[in-house]
Amino acid sequence: MPATVYVNHAYLAIVTNYSDASRLVLVGCGAITELYYAPALLEALKYRKIEIVAFYDPSSARLAALHRFFPHAKALTAFEALIDLQPHLAVVASPPKFHASQAIALLGSGVHVLCEKPMASSVAEAETMISAAHKANRVLAIGLFRRFFPALQAVKALVNGGALGATTSFRFTEGGVFNWPAASASFFQKQHSQGGVLHDLGVHILDLICWWFGEPASMAYEDDAMGNLEANSHLRLGFSNGLTGEVRMSRDTPCSNQYQIDFERGRVVWRVGEGNRLEMCFNDVPFTLAGELRENSSTADSYHQAFVKQILNFVSAARGTESLVVPGEEAIMSMRLIEQCYGSRHLISMPWFTEPETIRARELARPF
Amino acid sequence: MSHKIAVLGASGFVGSRLLELFHLTGLATLRPVVRNYSSLARLARFDLDWTIADACDQAALADAFEGCDAVVNLVAANPDVIVANATASYLAAQAAGVKRMVFMSSASVHGQAPAPGTDESSPLHTHHRFAYNNAKVRAERALNRCRKRGSVELVILRPGIVFGPRSRWVSDIADQLLSDRAYFINEGQGICNSIYVDNLIEAIQLALTVPAADGETFLVGDRERVTWLEFYSRIASGLGLDLSRVARVAPPQFQEGIFDIIEAVRTSKPVQALLPVVPGALKQAAKGAIQAVTAPPILSPWRLRAAPAPDVTEEMTQLHLCSVQLPWVKAERMLGYQAKISFAEGMQRSLGWLQFAGYPTVM
Repeated sequence: MPATVYVNHAYLAIVTNYSDASRLVLVGCGAITELYYAPALLEALKYRKIEIVAFYDPSSARLAALHRFFPHAKALTAFEALIDLQPHLAVVASPPKFHASQAIALLGSGVHVLCEKPMASSVAEAETMISAAHKANRVLAIGLFRRFFPALQAVKALVNGGALGATTSFRFTEGGVFNWPAASASFFQKQHSQGGVLHDLGVHILDLICWWFGEPASMAYEDDAMGNLEANSHLRLGFSNGLTGEVRMSRDTPCSNQYQIDFERGRVVWRVGEGNRLEMCFNDVPFTLAGELRENSSTADSYHQAFVKQILNFVSAARGTESLVVPGEEAIMSMRLIEQCYGSRHLISMPWFTEPETIRARELARPF
Repeated sequence: MSHKIAVLGASGFVGSRLLELFHLTGLATLRPVVRNYSSLARLARFDLDWTIADACDQAALADAFEGCDAVVNLVAANPDVIVANATASYLAAQAAGVKRMVFMSSASVHGQAPAPGTDESSPLHTHHRFAYNNAKVRAERALNRCRKRGSVELVILRPGIVFGPRSRWVSDIADQLLSDRAYFINEGQGICNSIYVDNLIEAIQLALTVPAADGETFLVGDRERVTWLEFYSRIASGLGLDLSRVARVAPPQFQEGIFDIIEAVRTSKPVQALLPVVPGALKQAAKGAIQAVTAPPILSPWRLRAAPAPDVTEEMTQLHLCSVQLPWVKAERMLGYQAKISFAEGMQRSLGWLQFAGYPTVM
């Protein structure tokens, strides 16, 4: 859901001149930065004293694309030059294979880091990032911003509070024919991205699963990678309390894009992207309740507002005035599950393949 | 067939299946050519030598075709791009030293409900109601003109309703059946001129290799005479649905409405050329006026909620009224084409894809 971008340069001229503001740098100027972080930072500037001092990307064209947001900040093509500016805060939104090295360099220089998901290319890298944050006594936040959605916070309350009874099963479907305006091929190259749709969407979905239900006791995973990166993933999960779940992710086929959770006394449905809306069914009630969540008589935060709240939480946590909502120590749980999936992967059944195709596909579909 | 083939439009439905089949069976070395990075998502399942190129950028296409023996042109785009791509891709192929191009046209160059006796020799026109049909006619003509002057061999294929995994004819009809919005005109007795995607790929393979095919155009289809009733029936059966729920409707009269006129004016070349110099305020005023004219009427609060109604389109109406099975005897005679996969088997595999995609099948 790309954001519509509004830039108020007159306002920027004021806020970027705070003398006591936290100095923030942006690392990586791809589509996620242009469509999400840049407009969200412009909004966050109204609520926290932040000064955007620089943004970095090896591509001059990408730096030019970001200039309209931050005309007073330095545009840098050398990563080391960012650190020389002695920033307090950094948003790392570069291709995933750079996350660990850049975050570790920043943390080691005393910079608090908000790192875009996926946290790193591997669990080992993620562990090193967490160690670096501990050693430097700096905040390491991960951009799993769905935890800021009121709808998903409500699901957590329902799961934990038992208002609908115990959870019995869930079925999550997410994705569709890929239409993210990727600014480079890195999403689709094994040398740059350690996985396909599971690595991309799966970190969000598995993070929510761990957040809501805890770590699964068993998993069975299939995908359609045949020599490169998967476009379709299918995961079945079991939990020690008897809960079972199924997750389908795709960059290839149309998807219903809904999360359905069955409880003993009803069902909750969340439609992907709706930050403040939920559907609920109660056993024996012949209607579905579908509506907007409200908080203190106002509409609860939307998708885009939740993204801004993520940045505000990061800034406040760095200043020691709030707890971090998504610390690296929690985000690594979904990374571990993803590595387990890839380590035990099987080729998904594609019933339209001929027999020679299936034989060759199995040969190509070796675990990572 | 061991040569290198550039597949232009490789991320679409036919292109995706062609990559699967050719790559996994080792039929050829492939170079998928797509318009942007996002289009790599599907084909990135395989480790392939892909290239990004705009379908109308002759220089970029020439680079993309470099080192390839043949080009399969599967570009599916808006009518302007279909036409512009024809000449650009041919000249690019010529510049890159490509030996042969197979161009995916469509049986719709004869209209959605062609006259009895229609075959490859039937005269074409550009007065169809659908811009897509006219664009395919213009593209064929442009390519044939290029072939007269150029050295790249050219084979044109005209499939009818191509179905299979990822086909809109499968997923759209499944969606309509599941939401009670499916309908039949003429009780579904019209002929749908189906072709299972693997049969089309068989025709592509032959078109790439049979020497005598150069300069020829071929209609291709399934071996069976399939009605729309049968087509819907297979999908409904796979979803465990009863066809008696499908609405039977009379063919509506379609007339050019105000929206069609506005859209034709808005997308015309002179208006598009003028748009950049029209002041923003004037554009906004025109947009507001168009929205006021085309906005749906406000319904009375007393009106009861109606059951889901089918959205009967002109294209489907014409297709359901088709009474002709287009012949592919020329493809059989010159290419040696045979529809190896039966309609029933093709549908079974398509239903397998629906299940793969998470549809509530009962297989």
